[in-house]
Amino acid sequence: MLRFIVKRCLLGMLLAFIVLTLIFLSLHLVPGDPAEIILTGEGGGAASPEALAKVRAQLGLDQSLWNQYVNYLSGVLSGDLGSSFRDNSPVTQAVAERLPRTLELVAVAVLLALVVGIPLGSLAAKRGGVIDATINLVTSTGISVPVYVIGTVLVLVFSLKLGWFPAGGFRAAETDFGGHLQRVLLPAVALSFGIISVVSRMTRSAVLEVISQDYVRTAKAIGLSRPVVFRKHVLRGSLNPVVTVVGLQVGTLLGSTVLVERIFNWPGLSGLLVEAVLQRDYPVVQGIVIVISVIFILINIIVDISYGLLDPRVRTS
Amino acid sequence: MSTTLKSSAAVAAIAASALVLSACGGSSPTQAPEQELQFGLSGDVPKLQPHLDQGASAMLLDSVLHRGLLGYDSKGEVVPALAEKYEQSDATTYKFTLRKGLTFHDGTPLTSAEVKTSFQALADPKAAAKIVAVTQGIQAIETPDAETVVIKLKAPNAAFLSYIADTTAAVLPPAAYQNAGESWVGAGPFKLASHDKGVSFVVEKFDGYYDAASVQLNKIDFPIYTDGQARTNALLAGDVDLIDFVPWEEFDRVKADQNITLDAQSGPFMYLNFNVTKGPFANAKVREAVALAVNRDNVVSAALSGNGSPIKGVPIPESSPFYNESLAKGWEQNIDKAKSLLAEAGYANGFSARMLSTSQYAFHRDTALSVQSDLAAVGIKLDLDLPDWATRVSKGNAGDYEIAVSGSAGVVNDPSFLSKFVQGPAEHTRSFGYDNANINALLAQGLSEADEAKRKAVYDDVSRTILTDVPFVSLAGRAQAFAYQKSVTGFSNLPGFLTFNSGYTLATTSIVSK
Repeated sequence: MLRFIVKRCLLGMLLAFIVLTLIFLSLHLVPGDPAEIILTGEGGGAASPEALAKVRAQLGLDQSLWNQYVNYLSGVLSGDLGSSFRDNSPVTQAVAERLPRTLELVAVAVLLALVVGIPLGSLAAKRGGVIDATINLVTSTGISVPVYVIGTVLVLVFSLKLGWFPAGGFRAAETDFGGHLQRVLLPAVALSFGIISVVSRMTRSAVLEVISQDYVRTAKAIGLSRPVVFRKHVLRGSLNPVVTVVGLQVGTLLGSTVLVERIFNWPGLSGLLVEAVLQRDYPVVQGIVIVISVIFILINIIVDISYGLLDPRVRTS
Repeated sequence: MSTTLKSSAAVAAIAASALVLSACGGSSPTQAPEQELQFGLSGDVPKLQPHLDQGASAMLLDSVLHRGLLGYDSKGEVVPALAEKYEQSDATTYKFTLRKGLTFHDGTPLTSAEVKTSFQALADPKAAAKIVAVTQGIQAIETPDAETVVIKLKAPNAAFLSYIADTTAAVLPPAAYQNAGESWVGAGPFKLASHDKGVSFVVEKFDGYYDAASVQLNKIDFPIYTDGQARTNALLAGDVDLIDFVPWEEFDRVKADQNITLDAQSGPFMYLNFNVTKGPFANAKVREAVALAVNRDNVVSAALSGNGSPIKGVPIPESSPFYNESLAKGWEQNIDKAKSLLAEAGYANGFSARMLSTSQYAFHRDTALSVQSDLAAVGIKLDLDLPDWATRVSKGNAGDYEIAVSGSAGVVNDPSFLSKFVQGPAEHTRSFGYDNANINALLAQGLSEADEAKRKAVYDDVSRTILTDVPFVSLAGRAQAFAYQKSVTGFSNLPGFLTFNSGYTLATTSIVSK
């Protein structure tokens, strides 16, 4: 088992290194000059060649690509992701500030998915008929409607028409907890539609599979009440694939935060990534991509290891 | 059944908590206004370098945190700011008298010495100041005493005062120059209280401001909304009191709201640039054919949702005393003449060319699409190159295009702004390689002429030359709009290119009860 874990971790590190190299090279190969953007903003301004050269030298962009790569790599290995081209602040600080905000959206969305999706799927499996068909229709819609449409509709209805929620924005939880909650709910709900549907459909098919098992029939036969049979035997037996799916969906959710953060003006990591790409802030882009990649790789390693723990056949293959 | 009951109970619980949450955030409408303004700002500004051209959001912050010798009033007239008064002793000499007891936000005194350092930095070509083309014309800066600054120019410049009234000519504290001109500390009516990166800026009234008595707002909160639709939603939902840069496609939605004022001015304009160093566009006749072939009304409706005005000649606005109607319509669409010009230039059968624009901004892309179909009608087949903005800027600076879509504004409304579009080093907002000695001489003459009638004659000549040599093709003026709740008074969108200086009026803005 230990060998299996070590092998997975080494593979993960290799993967992280490849991602880092690819993102570094692709950023430097894409046209667009950070110095030009820094000196002229989004305006149509002019910058003198001397000023451009000075800024490039400050940013280390006048060095050879190889030198820049080696410098960057040695920085990363010692835990230093560099400094933002735009304001000189450390990238690790920006990531530390923004990442929890994005993870918060994802966490609330996952929570909603479990709280709403599992009962919905169970209901569909247990009832069948019209209820099943209706839930099926709802979840199909939930999967197929893009998150930016859902987000826009939520803003339109709950902020502009009903006025229940602000149309987006952010308040720090430490200083204004109520305001923070108010602003986190709509984006998290928008984000959760897809995953609620996936969880619900997964629960439904797993429940249908388990419900026809012999041990369920036995449990009923020994006289346990229907709710007890369902809770203790059917649902518990169905949740394993659901939990796996949730783990895999977290990646999709992280991707969707790019759109949701923009619609709701939520200052998370994804918004910073988009901004940094447009501004050619190389260290920030590289830092965020590395951090997100490592999170991804870790999730996959954990899933692999837990498979290995559950199923000895995976370990040996 | 039990499950159904449970889920409806859950829905009720969610709805109830939503109501509680929304109640936390609401404030009673009967209270007296607190003089705290919520301003939805269109962009973050990681570091503030007032002397550079950093775009609209930076200029807005410059205008509340910083001040220069002069400023603009709500009508766009030059008015004294840090200087109490100014006089022109001869064609090239300006004398400014500073107000007494000026200080920066940190308490450092602001005297003629700090003014001198600032103007030296503005004039340093290596520092790439926005108005360096003008400030390079400074010959000497003298400071006979702590409250007097005398600026001598190498040659007369009729628009000099307008340029130094722009937010970019702020007087910065000495510490700024150790840091490439970066400074959040200024001498403006508000001082920075906090900056939560990517989230908001908060500024508070500065009691040491020279005119603090007339500043009514105690605090301005600038939450950052980079997305135009999110910004508009925030205004319509009442989250903010005022937003800048209303997207054109949102004008109708904003206008439909009875509680909101849409304050639009014709600001920057869209135009075409050419690489004149090679290919068909090196020929002025081909450029003129392009100018005559485009349908500018289509550009206005396609790219600006109808919120703009076609510019059919030299982009001197109708409100300017230098406006000349016949010259301003010199490029009225004329397909037949365009075709014959192309034939004269040897392109009777048309040609193919590469057009640079950007997909990052819809109005740039849609302008390109609109022009593409117009030029196809006269036989010019355009292949569109639509990278993101950073790439578009790089390619523009390097001349890596044949024809390009640009959008920009002058710094001042004085017609001398035209120089930015026809002369200077290679730069993405100018046609690559364009240099016309005749236009350069006329523009220099225009600046040195003091008499307005004579100046008008000179700029008419400039316009005539531009119409036939075509250093750029004007397309459409963009309506640049702020929008605010009716409770906001005293804020005003300044006319023309000065729209980006509108933040000056926040010093006299207040909030009244609805």
